[in-house]
Amino acid sequence: MRTPQRASVRFHLAFAVLGVTFLAIFSWVFLKEYLAEWRTTQAQFDQLQRRVKDPHALSLAAPLGEIQQIWLPDLNRVDRCPTCHLGIDDPAFVSAPEPYTTHPGAWLRTHAPDRFGCTSCHGGQGEATDFRNAAHQPIPYWSDPMRSPQLIEANCGACHRERRPRQAVWLEKGREVIANAGCIACHDIPGFSLEELRAPRLESVGYKVRPEWLRTWLADPKAYLAQARMPNFRLEPPEIDSLSAFLLAQRETAPLDSAGIDWSKADRDRGRTVFGEARCVTCHRLEGRGGTMGPELTTVGSKVGRAWLFSFIKDPTHDQPGTLMLRYRFTDDQIRDLVAYLTEDLIDPGAPQASSEVRYVEPALIERGREAFVRHGCYGCHRFSGMVDLGKIGPSLLGIGDRAIEAADFRNAAVVPSRPNWLFLKLRAPDTLADQSRMPTFNFSEPDAAAAVVALLSIRRADLPVSRVTDQPRPVRYEPQGTFGALVARYRCLSCHQTRGWGGELSTVPLDRIGSQLQHAYLVSYLQLPSAVRVSLEERMPWFRMTREEARTLADYLAGVFVDDSLERPVPLDADAARRGARLYQTLGCRGCHSLGGTGGYVGPDLSDSGRRLKPGWIEAWLSDPGRWKPGTLQPNYGLKPEEARSLTAYLMTLSTDRSGSTP
Amino acid sequence: MGRTIFRVGWPRTDKDRAAAMISSLVLHIHPAKVQRHSLRASYTLGLGLTSAYLFGVLIVTGVVLMLYYTPHPLDAYRNMKDLQFVVTFGPVLRNMHRWAAHAMVVVVFLHMCRVFFTGAYKEPRQFNWVLGVGLLLLTLGLSFTGYLLPWDQLAFWAITVGSNIAGYAPGLGAEIKYLLLGGNVIESGALLRFYVLHCVILPLLAAMLIAMHVYRVRKDGLSAPPAAEPPPIEEMAPGRFPPSTRSYGLMALADRPAQPVVESEPDDEVLTWPHLLYREVLVLLAVLIALHAAALLFNAPLEEIADPTRTPNPAKAPWYFLGLQELVSYSALIGGVLVPTLLVLALVLVPYLDPVPRGVGVWFAPERSRANRIFAALASAAVALTLVGMFFRGPNWAWVWPWTP
Amino acid sequence: MNDPTRRRFLFSTGVTSVVLSACGFLGATARYLSPNVLYEPPHRFPIGSPEEFPPGTATFLPEHRLFLFNNPAGFYAISSVCTHLGCNVRHIVGEGFACPCHGSRFDENGQVVHGPAPEPLAWFGLSLSPRRELVVNTRQPVQPEYRFRV
Repeated sequence: MRTPQRASVRFHLAFAVLGVTFLAIFSWVFLKEYLAEWRTTQAQFDQLQRRVKDPHALSLAAPLGEIQQIWLPDLNRVDRCPTCHLGIDDPAFVSAPEPYTTHPGAWLRTHAPDRFGCTSCHGGQGEATDFRNAAHQPIPYWSDPMRSPQLIEANCGACHRERRPRQAVWLEKGREVIANAGCIACHDIPGFSLEELRAPRLESVGYKVRPEWLRTWLADPKAYLAQARMPNFRLEPPEIDSLSAFLLAQRETAPLDSAGIDWSKADRDRGRTVFGEARCVTCHRLEGRGGTMGPELTTVGSKVGRAWLFSFIKDPTHDQPGTLMLRYRFTDDQIRDLVAYLTEDLIDPGAPQASSEVRYVEPALIERGREAFVRHGCYGCHRFSGMVDLGKIGPSLLGIGDRAIEAADFRNAAVVPSRPNWLFLKLRAPDTLADQSRMPTFNFSEPDAAAAVVALLSIRRADLPVSRVTDQPRPVRYEPQGTFGALVARYRCLSCHQTRGWGGELSTVPLDRIGSQLQHAYLVSYLQLPSAVRVSLEERMPWFRMTREEARTLADYLAGVFVDDSLERPVPLDADAARRGARLYQTLGCRGCHSLGGTGGYVGPDLSDSGRRLKPGWIEAWLSDPGRWKPGTLQPNYGLKPEEARSLTAYLMTLSTDRSGSTP
Repeated sequence: MGRTIFRVGWPRTDKDRAAAMISSLVLHIHPAKVQRHSLRASYTLGLGLTSAYLFGVLIVTGVVLMLYYTPHPLDAYRNMKDLQFVVTFGPVLRNMHRWAAHAMVVVVFLHMCRVFFTGAYKEPRQFNWVLGVGLLLLTLGLSFTGYLLPWDQLAFWAITVGSNIAGYAPGLGAEIKYLLLGGNVIESGALLRFYVLHCVILPLLAAMLIAMHVYRVRKDGLSAPPAAEPPPIEEMAPGRFPPSTRSYGLMALADRPAQPVVESEPDDEVLTWPHLLYREVLVLLAVLIALHAAALLFNAPLEEIADPTRTPNPAKAPWYFLGLQELVSYSALIGGVLVPTLLVLALVLVPYLDPVPRGVGVWFAPERSRANRIFAALASAAVALTLVGMFFRGPNWAWVWPWTP
Repeated sequence: MNDPTRRRFLFSTGVTSVVLSACGFLGATARYLSPNVLYEPPHRFPIGSPEEFPPGTATFLPEHRLFLFNNPAGFYAISSVCTHLGCNVRHIVGEGFACPCHGSRFDENGQVVHGPAPEPLAWFGLSLSPRRELVVNTRQPVQPEYRFRV
């Protein structure tokens, strides 16, 4: 028998080398697994908790060496953050370093981690078990990195859909910016509705504005008015030509006839007085002072024509059915003087002069103007008959918070291609972005744009279960009918006042229980000639010059319907109680804020006439718990005993400025 | 008791070793003796063996990966994240599966080139070449179907592009695409189909073809020896018999008396155990080491979750189809259908069309220089097109340099 | 070192490494198969506010497989999973529990009366969440005297 064939030593050597190499590389696999980042992190935590906690607490501590995860099937989230953030809900680790430290604030009490997870609020990749992949900082292929403190409120907004979420100031401000800018005109935005838009109708604008003003306005609204709500559409001169030709041709409803007015008799000084008495500045700004509900009037004389203004003041709803402007009961002479004041005193001396020549306008130019009007989506804000079904020109913003962003979206390569940056630039400087859109320039301030970015980021694509979402029901339009309704419509009460959640926000007094708060006689006289109860307020109720009949009708209805039965209770008003109340008035220091017969503070309402103004049931209820009736009021809750509240009420009911009645 | 399992035991003599090879089902895949020629690494490069190993690795890793995988769009991506982050050894297994799959495409292609350049598809191996072409296509199919399973952007858009290329096939293209996707869009139905194709149908087909392929190799001799023709005179040593076309001897059948085994030189044939087996074990270890190293050093890509509304720019097919995509970018019909169909047809028919019967068993035989040149040109064109698609095509399929960001 | 010794040494080195790696592979596979995270219902879960379970009632919660009792002494939760082979038992007022599968009977406290069940029904600990919901913890076994007062 021959000796068996053998493999050469070379092969044995190769076998040994390869075998050992394989063993080594296989051990590396094990090492890599058992030296994983989260395991070392947990080991360090173990040492920490031995120092921080006593043996008993230690024995109850959660076991280490495992991946901790929070699984939220309804949110489709898996968060493994607690694998490393081990002290997050344990106050013992307040001063521990990251990642072991306790969660700051009381947030976890309202947002328990086992119900909300971590990434719902913070963003990041919850599935990951190491620092980098958890997307504490942006990483490739994970579009939702952890939110910076500046942006974290965007995640609040994903669930908290109410317009004014508590404790999220940037989000609240951002939603306000979006509402005020009228984004809803061109974009569908969840949570916003077209009803919030305010812009004049333009079917009869040809009668209203001066042609030279219109051209300036179209070129750049901010040049005429720094607070202009209309954005700059960056129109080219030919577009301005055609657009103004189109607009000036819009003459659907002729102004009310002012042919009989003798303008030579107009007295601008009387007009100024009427302007002051009517408290126009409550809504209109004049030389830096006044409200913002209506358009600024500083240079209104350069903007609108005299005949149209006369008609508008006489009946604002004549060509603007939805206007917030009320219909004063002025005489024609008063209107004449007022118009003269407005159009002759309130002018911009630098405005281009009117060119009186009448020119022929090509129909083709008007047609091009109409096309520009549609192309720029002007009908989104300025409702226009015949342009109802054109749809919004901008894309829906549903899911804008998840929009994918690439470096190619930016023109400037220096900008970090992130979603917040893209949104910020889109709002502030759309021309730095790659795609040229028709979106106009709004000139948002940086804080406004930043807040709007937060609000936009909160609009996510994923549909959350209803149980996860908090929202406020949308107020239902309140339109009273009948005589009362006609008066409410004429004097536009709901432009400023709220009732049943509907109405304007200028007035601090909701009308819901006004009939139980104020005495009927006082209401009647106040409606006819409103006097300031709070002298510190700039926005005061206008003097409508309504008739006594009208005031009575309103007061009757308010006293009968706008009541709160719990306030309609008798309060014993004996003299003893009033004396005790007077002492209490001194000891509590009420005069620090309230004035009485001309002395005292100006923060709260004047109480000199409260005996004729207020109802006792209301005073008592208010004093007992002011915050219940008006959240956030400055009126302190003194924790008065019932009899104290009653004595104070009795005292206040004795106060009156009417010398003929009972004296205090 | 050991003897009831291993009848021969650890063989100590040549006879035992031969008996061990014959008595074992697994080892019976080999003959008891092989020609030295077949063992030369520079001849076979071990490519067929390597691809078989890769297939084995893919089966093993694939089966265990299936335990953590649900073929549904809502779960698949989360499963990938779990494999990446929380399953012990999950990343290594996934990486290994991925890299082995890519490696298999490369190795099978190289194996084909090797066989062509050594003329090893000729008589009697014509049909085995056809089987090999089938296996190449199956390898591509396996890789392609597996590409969708992670359900990320890379997967989704590569399969979108790939399945649309399939849709260009004349006549039946639309139907093929419809059947492949189980619908018109890539959704849960398509994912399930790709999963079943990837895990059941294609592996079964591949296993059957591999069995036939290997059986033919076994029957026709481990690798084509340079013996179908007499070797050049100056290389022929005096007194040496023409070697057998078959590499084994013990089981030589009587109806082939022309090549009696006993007459072959002892130097020319060696026992499979240890010479071949040892080499095979070494190749196996090398393959495993390389795969583990790759799996530890390079992570398999996983992009964002599939989003049908957002197409990455450029959307690229899996890399081995990028040559095809490059062709399609010029002409859908010619590039996407005509060229690949003709290529596959030509590959299938190569052994039957090749007019030169000689030049077997040596690299780049001068008799076959024309065939080799044609094949080399086509293969380099395929590689070049693929490289162009991989590295020189940027957004909008425009030309870019690979080093520009 | 002579040639055969060297051969033997190298060969056994290689074999040892390969065998060790193979063992490692088996171990790694076993470890891989044991999942680290579970997508299962949590062992602590809220079942609703105490007012939803009026006094003197027994409520079957099929999705959690347990009975919640509210008697004058307090709340308690008993598993509905028969300890024999895991069927859901039925509650018979005044008698106890009956398993429909193999006839095991339990008394009102879940103790085995007769039948193949080897152990009494499990009792689970209760607690009250900050949002005033009853919370069941299935990993907190308690004795049949257990009563939870809100």
